[in-house]
Amino acid sequence: MTGVRVHGATKSFGRTTALDSVDFEAGTGVTGLLGPNGAGKTTLLRTIATVLAPDRGTVTLLGLDPSRSDDRTRIRERLGYLPQDAGFHRGFTVFEFVDYVAILKEMTDRRARHDDVRRVIALTGLEPVSGKRIRALSGGMRRRVGLAQALLGDPGLLVLDEPTVGLDPEQRLRFREMISRAGEGRTVVMSSHQTEDITALCTRIAVIQQGRVRFTGTPAELTAQAADRVWTDTQRSPAALAAWRTGDGTYRNVGDPPEGAELIPPTLEDAYLLLMGEPELEVTHP
Amino acid sequence: MTAWHLDPEEIRRYAQGAAPPHLAASAEAHLMRCAACRDVVSSYVDTRRAETIWREVVDRVDTPRRSRPERMLVRLGVSEATARLVAATPTLRGPWLLAVAAVLALSVWAAGVDERFLRMFLVVAPLGPLAGVAVAFAGGLDPTREIGLAAPYSGLRLLLIRTAAVLVVTVPIVAAAGLALPGSAWLAAAWLLPTAGLTCAALALTGRMTPVAAVAVVAAAWVLVTAPAAVTDRLDLAFGAGAQIFWLAVAVGGGIWLTRDTFRIKLGRTT
Repeated sequence: MTGVRVHGATKSFGRTTALDSVDFEAGTGVTGLLGPNGAGKTTLLRTIATVLAPDRGTVTLLGLDPSRSDDRTRIRERLGYLPQDAGFHRGFTVFEFVDYVAILKEMTDRRARHDDVRRVIALTGLEPVSGKRIRALSGGMRRRVGLAQALLGDPGLLVLDEPTVGLDPEQRLRFREMISRAGEGRTVVMSSHQTEDITALCTRIAVIQQGRVRFTGTPAELTAQAADRVWTDTQRSPAALAAWRTGDGTYRNVGDPPEGAELIPPTLEDAYLLLMGEPELEVTHP
Repeated sequence: MTAWHLDPEEIRRYAQGAAPPHLAASAEAHLMRCAACRDVVSSYVDTRRAETIWREVVDRVDTPRRSRPERMLVRLGVSEATARLVAATPTLRGPWLLAVAAVLALSVWAAGVDERFLRMFLVVAPLGPLAGVAVAFAGGLDPTREIGLAAPYSGLRLLLIRTAAVLVVTVPIVAAAGLALPGSAWLAAAWLLPTAGLTCAALALTGRMTPVAAVAVVAAAWVLVTAPAAVTDRLDLAFGAGAQIFWLAVAVGGGIWLTRDTFRIKLGRTT
């Protein structure tokens, strides 16, 4: 069963079209959403998290229809959601906060609920600070608290909006490990600006820009879009769509290479930059 | 190790919790020193019961102590889950309650200076609890609003719990301010039924709009209707016997609506 299936979803806020006939699918494993700020990633994730309903189009989550009240409740019972700006009751301890969200998730048996709270606290490495107030935690630790609450109840669908934003490199690595483990046997949809995170974690990706899906496929398929379009030179090439000076003093150029250019293997970031610079291109890999 | 061992029948009775206290104490003292008897006892112990007891012990020892307001609510008979939901109500924070108290203190002071402000107190008084209900659901003040929206917990049930909590805390503050007013004693109570009626009306509107918008609509209607009556000294129109009966009817009607919906919530039909 496909965990997430969005077909022709359109969502507008006033005159701004946040989603424009979006088709998107995600199955078991980690699926990444890549795109610039304001592209519509958060709107799509909020739709998948049942917080927003599209103006047009259909959404199927875990085989259920979120526009139906009964289905929506059943989806929410199996959904974990980490919003982009996840807020916390800062006076609560870590345990109290995660327990509070567990109550909102209708875990009515106190002992079973506390067992699950302890489980997710252990999974996210928060045991040493379980009794600490959230206001006393660092940003990285708070992000872990956000992930812990999303993992409550062993959800079948996990929606993570920019889970690694604001984390230092070591914390990002730890988060990648946690998300990778979370993607085993369940559907995880995450957004990120970080192409490294997407490359490291995702089996499939969708690139979204101005409310439209520009690319769907595997990270390797996106990277392949930039084959023969990345080269090094001693100077910034006028033909390049983007160019920057690297650590060894040469310039990495992305675009249409001149005759005789020294081609190098592309990265996901190169392909992403090319895609963003060519607004007419739309690619879908089944 | 010891040469003496417990009788198999004594072990069975002890393991099943059927031994009299003197035998249980004696068996426990022996089991502390005798591995052979401990092995025999373990074969009699109901493992599911032992696991349940162990989990309960872990839970009691490992769960952080609840905050003082939560402990107080649990002592008053509120369930521990509801107590935590109440503790997370943004309006029940010190700064908000201080702001309500400060506005009312200012109203009382103004009423002492000029009698016209005394009449305005009645217009303003129900707005305190109503604003509390609105703020309890304002997106900017509820940091976990987004997580709550994606959770299966009934929005209406949360609304009722928070509304009740806000009223329980703010109504006594407004009542104390009313008692401090100069002049007739009925002023101290004349706002109570309108407050109950307005709150029920706002709750009824939440089926059609957000709680903040519902409170705004009800509050605006209240001010538009009562402010002219207060300014022209026709308080009987807005707060007289007829008006009080009207608000009582609104409160009772709203109460019936809420009871009906609470029943639906219990049956799990409301999302």
